[in-house]
Amino acid sequence: MANKSSRRDFVKRSAALVAGAIVLPQIIPSTALGMGRKIAPSDRIVIGSIGVGSQGMSNMRDFLKLKDAVQFVAVCDVDTHHLAKAKETVDMANNNKNCRTYSDYREFLEKEKLDAVSIALPDHWHGIIYSAAANKKLNIYGEKPICRTIKDGQTIVSAVKRNNIIWQTGSWQRSVANFHRGAELAINGRVGKVKYIEVGLPDGSKGIGTPPVQQVPSELNWEMWLGPALKVPYRGVSHWDWRWILDYSGGQLTDWAGHHIDIANWGAGLEHTGPVEISGAGVYPVEGIFNVPVEYDFLCKYGNGIEMRVANASRLPLGMGTTWHGDLGWVHVDRGDVISASDPKILNEVIGENEIHLYKSENHWQNFIDCVRSGKPAIAPVEVAYRAISVALLGEIAMTTGQTIKWDPDKEEIIGNPRASGLLSRPYRQPWTLPTI
Amino acid sequence: MKKQYLLLIVAAGLLTFFSACKNETVYKTLIITGQNNHNWKASSPVLKQILDETGLFSAVIMNTPDKGGNMKTFDPDFSKYKLVVVDYNGDSWSEKTNTAFVEFVKNGGGVVFYHAANNSFPAWKEYNEMTGLGGWGDRNQKDGPYVYYKNNKLVTDTSAGTGGSHGKRREYLVSTRIIDHPITRGLPVRWLHGTDELYSQLRGPAKNMQILATAFADSAAGGGTMRDEPMLMTITFGKGRIFHTAMGHADEGGGPAMQCVGFITTLQRGAEWAVTGDVTQKVPWDFPSAAGVVLRPDFKEMTLEEAFANISSYDITKSTKNLSCIQNKIHSLAGDEQGLLKLEKMMVKVLVAKETTVDAKKLLLRELSWMGSDYSVPAIKDLVSNAELKDEAEFALTRLKK
Repeated sequence: MANKSSRRDFVKRSAALVAGAIVLPQIIPSTALGMGRKIAPSDRIVIGSIGVGSQGMSNMRDFLKLKDAVQFVAVCDVDTHHLAKAKETVDMANNNKNCRTYSDYREFLEKEKLDAVSIALPDHWHGIIYSAAANKKLNIYGEKPICRTIKDGQTIVSAVKRNNIIWQTGSWQRSVANFHRGAELAINGRVGKVKYIEVGLPDGSKGIGTPPVQQVPSELNWEMWLGPALKVPYRGVSHWDWRWILDYSGGQLTDWAGHHIDIANWGAGLEHTGPVEISGAGVYPVEGIFNVPVEYDFLCKYGNGIEMRVANASRLPLGMGTTWHGDLGWVHVDRGDVISASDPKILNEVIGENEIHLYKSENHWQNFIDCVRSGKPAIAPVEVAYRAISVALLGEIAMTTGQTIKWDPDKEEIIGNPRASGLLSRPYRQPWTLPTI
Repeated sequence: MKKQYLLLIVAAGLLTFFSACKNETVYKTLIITGQNNHNWKASSPVLKQILDETGLFSAVIMNTPDKGGNMKTFDPDFSKYKLVVVDYNGDSWSEKTNTAFVEFVKNGGGVVFYHAANNSFPAWKEYNEMTGLGGWGDRNQKDGPYVYYKNNKLVTDTSAGTGGSHGKRREYLVSTRIIDHPITRGLPVRWLHGTDELYSQLRGPAKNMQILATAFADSAAGGGTMRDEPMLMTITFGKGRIFHTAMGHADEGGGPAMQCVGFITTLQRGAEWAVTGDVTQKVPWDFPSAAGVVLRPDFKEMTLEEAFANISSYDITKSTKNLSCIQNKIHSLAGDEQGLLKLEKMMVKVLVAKETTVDAKKLLLRELSWMGSDYSVPAIKDLVSNAELKDEAEFALTRLKK
């Protein structure tokens, strides 16, 4: 924790940085909250990144903007080009040449003494690396979806809880005003009792067919990129486009579950539970190496009677975003500050003092750093993220099997369907193993 | 000898009886062609094959006289048919034929208008009411409004201008506008269509018309209106139901526009709807999506037997279509344990066969990992010792908890 600055300075600068924020950094000594690592309020949070591709770099830049609160010291990636670019970015921000680089996360975790780590990797790596970082008692800013399978998710949630670390999911929509407002209107009954929710996520797009096997570029450690996934020859698809291959991702559905399903759960009080019945259908490419569903449409029934339909946007009347339908009307939110309602009056409603006030953050990355400092939970905690992606992963299982899936959200088990239960995990290729819960 | 003759006669009698029974459920269909600014000699047999393939239709092709010929000789008895498919763009028919056609539709006959059929007969009022929208033939504002979608809103545009245009041929994305119509129900709502003319700026009376699907005519893709142009429409006329597809520009042998599974399927479904008002056909497993165009060069749906026959020689440079066919079968058997076991046995048979490639075995192991039962386990265990298949075999066994 170098470059110490006074607490007063820190608060002043942070306030300027997040002008208008309602939640200013609440500086409580972390020891008071039983944190694993003690961080003095005046210290900068020492942080590094594992995975510095497009999303990892984007998160890193957002953290670098908080330079009075954060000190970036190390980066890790299996692509040396990514590493070089990330180091250059960090060094430029730090005005030195000191950013350390690693191509193996194990060495990174072993050698670096950090307060926090920002992780943005293909989904198939999440189970292992999130757990490993949690077990090192690092506070984690982790990209959504937090897991590729339910089993991975359970392992991650367990590791985060066991190690008592601060977790922030990259579900940044929570820190944007219109989503917060929509969720707060819904949860306070401004559309009446929420009975039905529609969640529109992006449509799938054109595939790339069956590209030829290629020489792995010298900058990429393909074996390490694949990690626990089944070995396949390199065909020019790794960064970014892993999203369209089922070994690594569930496509737009799982990529966006951590946004609009997460928001749906927030406004309906479903953050700590899951559906009891899931059924629906997907449209899969007829050929080509991209094999994630390009269309999907499934219905989740919850124990309290709420139903949630999740579909690609073109199948829904309001397209992208989350719509809570109650017996008095509806509220819809989407990116681009979109918030609309069945009756515009709903949007002018004031939430009373004794009503539910949802957690407020105006800068998702700042919120994480503040919470690392204060020991308070961040706005997008790990179990909430797990519940959001579970909806998509259970939908994926319903679509794959063609069956109605019965789910026990308390025991987190599929009921009476061994075939579907088999899809709750993806076995890891040796020597990789998922830590036991 | 006598006995054998008797048997033959009985057999022949039975055959006639059964085919007569079968014919009752087959809709007699008349495909009218013979003149067109398009390759009608290529398109009409393909239309017949596509319709006959369903088992629902029995189509005959009737050619009009050539251009300038005596149209009085073109005098079909429409009453013999349940469905008329128009693949025609040429000289006017006789008054008698026009009247008979109008009566046929008014009284509940089904019609399919195909591609350039909407160019035909600009001066025939009822015909244009039946097509809803048309193009070329000096059509302009006098013939009715342009109808299209713009920014997801249906637009009826009465502005002056000629009707009918298309840019360069291209693959294009078809977007379904009415997803709960019998014709579109269960289909992907967005799908890529094989290279075709993208008919644009159609205009006409547009009465009693629903636009089921549109395609965006992107100017950047070789000329276009930047509107979502109607591609699939339904129209009612009297008691008659009409399906209008603006798609399917024919090359020799049909070409990609007609080989496109999206074109084939919507034509088959549209034709059934035109006859009965409903659609009983299943959505084929190879229906395209936004992921890519899917063609059937022989206009036939691949069978499971073909998929199994093909997959054993799969290598990673080849199409994964055969796998998709098998995956679709697994999916369609959901809940049918006996059916799944039968399929699993077929998969294991290919898995253990010597001639099956390593790449094919890898694909099958991934599927068996979740859909397999105890039946697969010994065969999979045998593969663990094979260095090339060890990972996939262990993957499957772990998932199967064996």
